[in-house]
Order: sequence, then C-alpha cells, then structure tokens
Amino acid sequence: MRTNGKQHGYGAEMNFRERLYVGEVFRGLWITIKHLVRNIFYMKDMPTVQYPEVKPQYSDRFRGRHRLMQRDDGSPRCVACMMCSTACPADCIHITAAEHPDPTIEKFPEKFDIDLLRCVYCGLCEEACPCDAIRMDTGIYEIVADSRDKFFVNKEFLLNDETNGTL
Amino acid sequence: MVKLTIDGQELEFTEGTSLFDACREARGEALPHFCYHPDLPIAGVCRLCQVEIEGMPKLTIACNTTVRDGMVVFTRNERVRKAAQQTLEMHLINHPVDCPICDQAGECGLQNQYMEYGLYESEVEKGDKVTKAKAQVIGPHVILDTERCVLCTRCVRFCDHVTGTGELGIFNRGDRAEVGIAPGKELNNNYSLNTVDICPVGALTSRDFRFKKRVWLLKSTQTICPGCATGCNIRVDHEADRIFRIKPRLNADVNGRWMCDFGRLEYRRVHAESRLDAPLLADGDRQREASWDQVWSRLDALGGKGLFVVSPWQTLEEMDLFKGLGGGNTVVSGPSESGRGDGDEILLSTDRTPNRKSLAWLGIDELAGDELAARARAADGVVVVYGGDPVGEVPAFAEAVAGKTLVYLGTHRNATSDAAQVVVPTSAWAERDGIFVNAKGRLQLIRRVVARPGEAREDWRFLADWQGRTDDQTQPAGLPELRRGVAERVAALNGQDLNTIGASGSAVAEADTGGDA
Ligand code: SF4
Ligand code: SF4
Ligand code: SF4
Ligand code: SF4
Ligand code: FES
Repeated sequence: MRTNGKQHGYGAEMNFRERLYVGEVFRGLWITIKHLVRNIFYMKDMPTVQYPEVKPQYSDRFRGRHRLMQRDDGSPRCVACMMCSTACPADCIHITAAEHPDPTIEKFPEKFDIDLLRCVYCGLCEEACPCDAIRMDTGIYEIVADSRDKFFVNKEFLLNDETNGTL
Repeated sequence: MVKLTIDGQELEFTEGTSLFDACREARGEALPHFCYHPDLPIAGVCRLCQVEIEGMPKLTIACNTTVRDGMVVFTRNERVRKAAQQTLEMHLINHPVDCPICDQAGECGLQNQYMEYGLYESEVEKGDKVTKAKAQVIGPHVILDTERCVLCTRCVRFCDHVTGTGELGIFNRGDRAEVGIAPGKELNNNYSLNTVDICPVGALTSRDFRFKKRVWLLKSTQTICPGCATGCNIRVDHEADRIFRIKPRLNADVNGRWMCDFGRLEYRRVHAESRLDAPLLADGDRQREASWDQVWSRLDALGGKGLFVVSPWQTLEEMDLFKGLGGGNTVVSGPSESGRGDGDEILLSTDRTPNRKSLAWLGIDELAGDELAARARAADGVVVVYGGDPVGEVPAFAEAVAGKTLVYLGTHRNATSDAAQVVVPTSAWAERDGIFVNAKGRLQLIRRVVARPGEAREDWRFLADWQGRTDDQTQPAGLPELRRGVAERVAALNGQDLNTIGASGSAVAEADTGGDA
C-alpha cells in the first residue's frame, strides 16, 4: 500500500478536500481515462485476450484436468495404492480397490472418481503416484457442465475422455 | 542380578534376561529386528539385531545372547549401524518392493526400518531378482506372497510352538529358500490370522482385509472381543463408522498377544444386511416401521405377569437394568444350549458368549430350551426377549409365545424378531459401552467404536427410559451413575468400583470360581 506518510483505507481520517467527494471522483476517473487513451493508441500492448475465440497459451507445466494413463491394453496403469487420495488435500479422489483377474497385476481400481469441483488443482496426486498413472498434463482448464454431479468424473472418463473440458 | 553397560549406561537386570530386551530398555526402543518375538522361541536368523560386545571380535546378535555381568555393549556406534544397514540391504536383494499393492505398507518392518537403516542408493539391479510365487491362497483366511518373505520364521515357529499344528516350513536353500505350506496341509488352524500379525512384512496377509483399506487411514479403538467367554483384549480398526479389521491387544492375564480367527471375523455381524435399524410393530400378519411414540404407547399398554428373557450377549449393566425392569415378572436367560461351540486349549472357549458370568452374578437363572418354553407357556400375556433368538432355536418356545404379546429387543432380524409384535432395534457390540465379565470373572470394558445404524437405540438408555415410564422413579443420568448402582446390587463384585476399570480390565473381583471355560 502506498502511504505517503498518510493513513489510507478503512477508518482513515479524510481531509476537507476528500470530504467534498467531487474532486476524488474525478481523480478516480482520471485513472480510467489514462488507461483508455493508452489502450486506444497502443492497442497491441493490451494484455486482454479475445477469449473464447483466442485461447491463452499456458506453460507446458500447467496443471490442467487429470487423466489416467493406460497400459498397452487400455486398462488403467493405476494399481489403487491410494497414494494420491491420501496426498489430496481436498479429499476429492475416491478409489475402490479390487482383485485384478490377472495375477501379475493383483490390484486395480474398480472405481476411480474425482470430484472436480472440490479439486484445487494442486498437483499433489500426480506428485504422489508411484506408477505415473495420474497426470494433469491435458492442458484442459475449461471444465464446464450444466449440473453439479457431472463434475464427479469416473474411471472411464479419466481414461478415455477427449471432450476437451465439456463434461 | 547382573550389571552391564549398554551405550555407556550402567544398568541392572535379572539373570537370564535376553540382551535384546536389555537393549530395548536401555535405548527406549527396540533394536532393528525381524525374527525376534517375545512370545516365540529364539531363531536368530535375520541378523538385524547385531550389537558390539567388548572383548568379542565379531558383532553378536542380541536376541540370542543373555546378559552377563560386566558386559559392555554398544548398540549405536558406526560399526553396528553399518551392520544393520548391510543386513537390511541383503534382505532387499530379492524383495519385490510392491509397496503400492502390498497390504502391509504403512506397518511394514522393512519399510519402517529402512527409514532409519536404509542404504537408499541400492546396489541391486531390478532385473536380477529371484522371482517366486505370489498371492497363493494357503488357507481359509491367509494369503502368502513368498517373494515378500524375509524368512524370519516367525510364522513357522508360531505354528510349531503356539498352535502345535506345524503347517508351515521353510523349503529349499539359499536365495531359493521360501516359506511354504507342508504338503497336503492347509493353514486352517483356529489362530491362522495371528501369523499375519506377526509377519513383519507383507508375505502373509489377511484374505478378509485384502485391498479393503490402506492401514494408515484406519483409527483404532480398544475393546473386548464378543466371540467367546475368554474375552480377548482387542483393537478394532475402523474408518468412518465401518470396521475393517480386528487385531489382538496385549493382555498377559487374558490372551497374551493372540486371538482366534472366529473372534477376529465377528465384526462382520455388526455390518450385516440383517441389522434391525428401525422400530417395528406387528400389523396384521406383517410388520411395519413405526414411530417411537407408537412403540412407547404399545409398551405402556403391556400388562400382566410376563416372562423376561435376556441373552448372555448383553453387558452387565444392561442385564441389571433388564432385571430391574422385569420387576415382579420372571427374569431368566436361555436357552442355555445357545452360544455353544467347539473350544480349544489355547483361547477359544466352548462358551461362545461374552458375558454368561454376569447372569450368575445377577442371580438370573439360565434355563434349557424346554424349560424356557414351559415358562413361556405359563407366562401371562407378555414375553419380552432381549437379544438372542429363542424362537428360532427352540420350536417349543415358538409355539408357547404364539398368541402372546412378544416384544423383541435385538440387533438382527431373525425368527424371534419376525414373530414379535414389537421390535426395538438395539446396538451391536461395537456400538455401545459396557462391561463384559469373562469366564474367569474379569471385568472388561467394551467401547463404542462406530455409530448405530438408523434408529437403533443405545441399550441401557432405552431400558432406563422404559423403566422410568413404569415406575416414575428417576433413572441414572449416565453410565457412571448406573455402574455405581450395579456395584451396590451385585454381591459378587465385593463393592468394586466399576468406574475405575482400565483398558486391560479389572482383575478377578470374586474368588476365582473357575467358570465353565
Ligand atoms: S490436484 Fe490436488 S486437489 Fe486435485 S485431485 Fe490432485 S491432489 Fe486432489
Ligand atoms: S497414486 Fe497412482 S497408482 Fe496410486 S491410486 Fe493414485 S493414480 Fe493409482
Ligand atoms: S512387505 Fe513391506 S517393503 Fe515389501 S512390498 Fe510390502 S510394504 Fe513394501
Ligand atoms: S512369511 Fe512372514 S513371518 Fe513367515 S517367515 Fe516369511 S516374513 Fe517371516
Ligand atoms: S532379531 Fe536377532 S537375529 Fe533376528
């Protein structure tokens, strides 16, 4: 906060000029007008993106919506170790483990649900996974649906989805 | 007494103390170990517990050494540390490290000890490992993964020396050595799940618990097993009102470190489909869910001289309240044939009920089935059954109660609840607090572990409420007050304070009467 040796903000004493308001209103408007003029003459420098026609470019390390990695046969690589759901601070990964018919795999997730509304996109799940089975490298950041329960995505969705965000 | 120095600390021990135990006391924590177990004979095979003893050229394993006067022992120096680290690395040479799919992860001796004694930069190539059979079912309750085994022989010694059944053994030599089941046998003794407890790694795991929950998500509550009259001290592991497993809890006076498989799987009854979770009233020849007001008005209208039957699955406090509630009626227990099974010499009692002793203490007669039926026939209008299933077990009793008002207080749907005009859902063993008295007269506390289903009531509160409606007397406000009353009424308690019973129960209150176990 700028102080000028003066106290600003809530509870600060106002001087006579400030208490007249009119002057202060124009001082505020002046800031707006300054930006307006600058944007008219230097439009190229404007940070605004014409979303959704133009999409912003994010870093490759951006944490987007999760996906589950597949084995060669398309089944999930996940072994239901619960590392991700244990690490998850939002408590939004719900896994039910089961015995896999293939004895060399033993354990697999019968159910793997993520509540995308609770997720805080911290990436701890991806970090915790010992099998590189969950990744957040899809780059998807527009996650939209028309009802709350659609944000509760299941294993099949996380394994195969190509909807690019619309649930 | 012998005097020795451990890590510069001078200590005294009685002759014959194992150096392992002495070091545990001196260090405040155990030496690294796999094979040592306080209740099993010494094997000395894992070589993790090596310590340096002055005057001995080589390191010595502490578990197979007894203390001697003047010994100078080092457990924390670099040489000892290195030895533990190298030994652990050896154990890992052929270990699969399947922690992500291993049920032991989180309570694994290999994982935990690696935290302190790990080499971290492993020198073994993954591809060079010897592979062995995985996930073999070796008995009704146990699954074996020989790759994960560290060959500590604890399980083998358990089957040889505790149960004496000798199902397990170590076969082959060198890096082909593996634990296995003797030809033609099955690990099916009454105590097989204890091998899962003592296995320091995930080689032996429980089939019942398999993949159900990661252990670090579980919370534990100390309570008592309801399976038989021995009253083994247990720990119930649960999460979010669901019980996942039961483990024995050390009590040298009752069960030591073991418990039987039957008791261990008793928790499944708590979550059974057939649990009663709402009060029911008979309506024609059907039963329908009713409100508590309707139940109370029905119960208030009961009259006449009835028969009150209580089961030995109730707690001491509940039996006492029920007896008071019976008042002028006949209060008995029965049929005395129910809750019996095969016992063994180790822990499991032929009396498969947890609290028969209290019946005797409260002066409640136990009747055989036909006698119980005769009393029911003589009863005037009302028969109240609290727990058990006499209608299902005694056909004559079923006939005798037909046409009478049958009130059932119980946890599960059964023939008695089906025949009842009023059904009150009560709490299962893991849903309430109370006292069980084992066959030897030891008072032990059971604890509420999970929430009751639906509208099921806490037993003693329901009984006290009912009592309050019949005699207008003030009822105990809480369990402590109720227990003070019980202590006054039960002579066998010798005035013992029931509110001071600790986690390991209270020693025999009366002169040991032997019991029937
Ligand atoms: S990104 Fe964070 S909040 Fe979202 S599921 Fe993963 S661990 Fe949980
Ligand atoms: S951490 Fe990885 S392997 Fe483990 S449950 Fe989560 S996604 Fe599956
Ligand atoms: S026994 Fe221990 S170290 Fe081995 S796989 Fe299981 S948890 Fe991991
Ligand atoms: S199965 Fe377990 S208890 Fe038995 S020898 Fe192997 S590691 Fe020890
Ligand atoms: S604990 Fe001493 S050798 Fe295993």
